[in-house]
Amino acid sequence: MSRVNTVLGAIPTEELGLVAIHEHIGYGMPGSELDTRWWKTPEVRYAETVPKLRAFHECGGGTFVDATGICNGRDVDYYRSLSAKTGVHIVACTGFVGGDTALPHFARASVEYLTRQFVHEITVGIGDTGSRAGVIKVGVSRGGRMTDLDKRIYRAAARAALTTGVPILTHLAIDAENALAIFGEEGLPLDRVLFGHVDDGVNADKTRATWIAEQGGRIGFDTFGYETELEDPPFWARPRKERLDHFLRFIDGHLDKVLASADANCSPLGWPGVKGHTVNYIFEDLIPDLRAAGLEEADITTIFVDNPADFLTIQN
Amino acid sequence: MNTVNTVLGPVAADALGIVAVHEALLSVVPGAEHAYDVTIDRAEIFEILARKLTAFRDSGGTTIVDSTGMFHGRDVRLYEALSRSTGVHIVASTGMGPEEMLGGYFLTPQTNPPTPWPAEKFADLFGKEITEGMVVPRVERRGAAGLVATTATRDGMTATDESLARGAARTALITGVPVSLRFGADAVRDLGIVLGEGLTADRVVVGGLDRRDAVAAGAPLAVARRGAYVALDHVGVDDDEHISDHERAALVIALVEAGHADRILLSSNAIGVAKGHPDHDLPYGYVVSSFVPLAQSLGLSDDDARRILVDNPRELLSVR
Repeated sequence: MSRVNTVLGAIPTEELGLVAIHEHIGYGMPGSELDTRWWKTPEVRYAETVPKLRAFHECGGGTFVDATGICNGRDVDYYRSLSAKTGVHIVACTGFVGGDTALPHFARASVEYLTRQFVHEITVGIGDTGSRAGVIKVGVSRGGRMTDLDKRIYRAAARAALTTGVPILTHLAIDAENALAIFGEEGLPLDRVLFGHVDDGVNADKTRATWIAEQGGRIGFDTFGYETELEDPPFWARPRKERLDHFLRFIDGHLDKVLASADANCSPLGWPGVKGHTVNYIFEDLIPDLRAAGLEEADITTIFVDNPADFLTIQN
Repeated sequence: MNTVNTVLGPVAADALGIVAVHEALLSVVPGAEHAYDVTIDRAEIFEILARKLTAFRDSGGTTIVDSTGMFHGRDVRLYEALSRSTGVHIVASTGMGPEEMLGGYFLTPQTNPPTPWPAEKFADLFGKEITEGMVVPRVERRGAAGLVATTATRDGMTATDESLARGAARTALITGVPVSLRFGADAVRDLGIVLGEGLTADRVVVGGLDRRDAVAAGAPLAVARRGAYVALDHVGVDDDEHISDHERAALVIALVEAGHADRILLSSNAIGVAKGHPDHDLPYGYVVSSFVPLAQSLGLSDDDARRILVDNPRELLSVR
């Protein structure tokens, strides 16, 4: 039986449909909840979020994978209500966006403790919500190199992935030699790891996406839409055509390894967000761009349906 | 009339009575609230804290200061209910530190490069907790903090610790609440950072001055001479890091004899309920019921005992 954990319970892989593999209902750095400049009423949060998820659903979106780590404002009860009311499957994650988003309780923890935390959230549930995590988030801290804490989190994630069959999704794929070494030491097949953000404007040149794919890793072009053409682009923005060309070059030979997403916030928690950028960039811009570039419908299905299904399905 | 900010509103400073200045009610290591093996049962926490606060009151204590700052388990609504229920005045604190205890929002913000927060931003964050109310994260502001507490890294103040300390000092200058500084490696140096912002020394309490290294360095006397309050705030602790109660009592008397009775504060850094770290389950009334009688048996006068337990904290906590 093939299954994927969503916030409303396990669903068959066959029900996932089109997947946005790396998104956020709302992301904030830990501590941002103390700064009232970012606060919004629940009325505003729902008003900002529900129409985006409804549009996602109406455009043919099936599943929204929320990559918001444990201390970044992940709010599973809220996701449950959003999923139930909009019909979008929402997959929540365990893990951390990076060592620099793990608060002291976890920053001090051993690999064994972090493994137990992740396994618990995948097999028992997140907090008292009863919802089980469907992916494990890991990532590289600011600064470009994996810190000791980043490495502990990667190792714990590898062990939890092996124990539970749930895959790993990374924030950034720089310093991949260290990541691959850890996954290798733990015996985790690299097709259980999606190396994300290979396309972002800051890190694309430093990211060995082809090398990772050749080792068996999956590759995430998952910051589509953060473009320098935007009115107020973030520092990780990239020219639209440059990213698209990068993607088109990459899928020529690695289509089976690639996933794509927009990394947008429905309603950001601790930063202004990027005006006009939503998960629906996938339908409004990306898929039309891919068609215009000559991709077949079957290729688009591979990228947004088949590859995510392979990746997300619990292996056991 | 001088007043003190408590969780139930301003209280006349004269009504504070015996005060424990450096204690913790609910103490949660940041992040522990998300841990799979940590349970936060508010009813249970309330029951434990209410029992301890009632025992504190029964031993003569009337005001307790939760000096853990804004990001270590502070729960304003719970403290309001506890104060109403037990009759003990509760002063809650704003502030954060040391650097290791901060969230990434302050250390690696989403800017390029990720520059840690400077003092003026901390001052704004902490100051609003007094002028606009303490945050219940993403929900509301309630009450006013009565103290801005910061802590330096044990091995020595980091750059961000210094921003926190300067931010705390600026908060005190603007709002009139005092600063609690738990020093890192060098108490006098760290106090100098806070005073460098133009705050007068009588608005600062330096905690941890019953650490063996501080005593060996002569820091308690030096801090008192600068005019700041000297907190011997591990009363009841006798370990490798701190002096014993007998040594502590002798230090109290030595400070009194040196003319600094008006600068001494006593507390225990007891923890009512700890989550994510070991508790320190000492009665909040230990200072009043056990330590002060010991000091008196060694020669502390009743007047000086009262000064230390009542007058000094009243003067410190009064909003200026």
